[in-house]
Amino acid sequence: MRHGFTTMQALALSLALAFLVLPVVAVFLQVSPAAMLSQLGGDAATQAIVVSLRTNVIADIVIVVVGTPAAWLLARHRSFPGRRVLVTLLELPLVLPPAVAGIALLVTFGRNGLLGGQLDALGVTIPFTEVAVVMAIIFVAGPFYLRQAITTFESIDPRLVQAAATLGAGPWRTFRKVVLPLAMGGLAGGWALAFARGLGEFGATLIFAGSLPGVTQTLPLAIYSEMNRDLDTALAIGGLLIVVAALVLLAVKMIPSWNPTPSSPPPSARRSATSPSTSR
Amino acid sequence: MAVMAAVPLPTAAYATPTPIAAARSTGTASRAGDQPTVLAASSLTKVLPAITPGARFSFAGSDTLAFQIQQGAPADVFAAASPRYPQQLFRQGLVSQPRPFASNSLVMVVPRANPAHITGLADLTRDGVRLVIGDTGVPVGDYTRQALARLGLSDALRNVVSLEPDVKGVTAKVALGEADAGFVYVTDVRPVRGRVRAFRLPAAARVDVEYQVAVVARAPHPAAARAFVRRLLSPAGRRALVDHGFGVPAG
Repeated sequence: MRHGFTTMQALALSLALAFLVLPVVAVFLQVSPAAMLSQLGGDAATQAIVVSLRTNVIADIVIVVVGTPAAWLLARHRSFPGRRVLVTLLELPLVLPPAVAGIALLVTFGRNGLLGGQLDALGVTIPFTEVAVVMAIIFVAGPFYLRQAITTFESIDPRLVQAAATLGAGPWRTFRKVVLPLAMGGLAGGWALAFARGLGEFGATLIFAGSLPGVTQTLPLAIYSEMNRDLDTALAIGGLLIVVAALVLLAVKMIPSWNPTPSSPPPSARRSATSPSTSR
Repeated sequence: MAVMAAVPLPTAAYATPTPIAAARSTGTASRAGDQPTVLAASSLTKVLPAITPGARFSFAGSDTLAFQIQQGAPADVFAAASPRYPQQLFRQGLVSQPRPFASNSLVMVVPRANPAHITGLADLTRDGVRLVIGDTGVPVGDYTRQALARLGLSDALRNVVSLEPDVKGVTAKVALGEADAGFVYVTDVRPVRGRVRAFRLPAAARVDVEYQVAVVARAPHPAAARAFVRRLLSPAGRRALVDHGFGVPAG
């Protein structure tokens, strides 16, 4: 009986492994690495790489610069009324279908959108521009960083922060000298996940920003556009994105301090994390 | 990744969900097995279900659908917005002899509010006009390029702000007022009549938009597939096509 159960588990694992890994391997079997590299040198791929890199770098800067202080504030105030609702709202894009995100951005920032009139008065039009791509990435990927940053800050022993204050350090100095160094690993892990998600963004970008080579056509959009024209280029870009995704995931796993779930938070943090006040 | 009908994500395009598994899952339920799976051009989204309500439809750009069939998608019928892909698949032995069943015409659409004050095709070359068209390889995109070339307005292509993967993407961006103009089929205008204004193209720019249908060679439900095509070509099918604004071949 026990033997049968073990066999079933092994079977389930093999099945999962084969199903999840085979498609990834198949991409590399279609095109040789050498051919892949030469395809990536082509116009369509090069332009898409540039667009993807530029938009993701800008989006990630915004995500980190805005997300970090916001997360620190939320991590320090763990029991105010409505905190749960607030955090849920911030995390919503994590579980939103990308197509919904695209439509939502369009009816907010589009020409006829909620803020369209105000933006138009400022002479700003967002859809079909690189700004729209950046906004789509921030919208779908930002919450990955935010969520991780909040968890990371919450796991910092509050006594260390108090001690710094007792010793005369102001809030900014405490944050810079005590909190940030302790949180760096967790923040880096959160950023890595946000980057991976942002690089793969497709649906929201297509709806909100459109698809134009050299302007708004990111790598995933280029795959879609090239698929029927030049399958080898589509596969080469696919291979590139697989490699990048694998590297990001490996980095998160190999660099222990990057791990999204801190393996052993300090006792006080653990206590406060399970105290009723945080679960409100 | 979530897939919405209007915007096929790459997962959808790559979804050649192991033909064996898919065929088996429908095969066991023999009633469901009687219904053909039809891969059809986006512009047929309204009319085909009106002709054969029971069939299962997957609507996308004809080029995407052709790719899915080449990759072994378990489809029964291929209905495309151009002869190009059915003929290509026929030469590869992947579908039966394609038959023309409908025709369509290209129109220019602008949002009802007409933010760029477009009164004719020549306005498309004006600086700052935001034009949205189909990608190259997507039938509506290729027809658009042909029409602009015949009018000597290929210059307008520099005003293109987005190359959409299918005609619905173009329609939606004009209907939402984000694009100043776009090219779609006349049949795409009906569902968004209240939101757009359509301009017929001058005779010199008319391109023949011919739809062709074919039965997939390795169709899991060949009998149902043939029945679907028969009904499409029947007087009832022709009537429905005409009701939805399509032209039908003589005879």
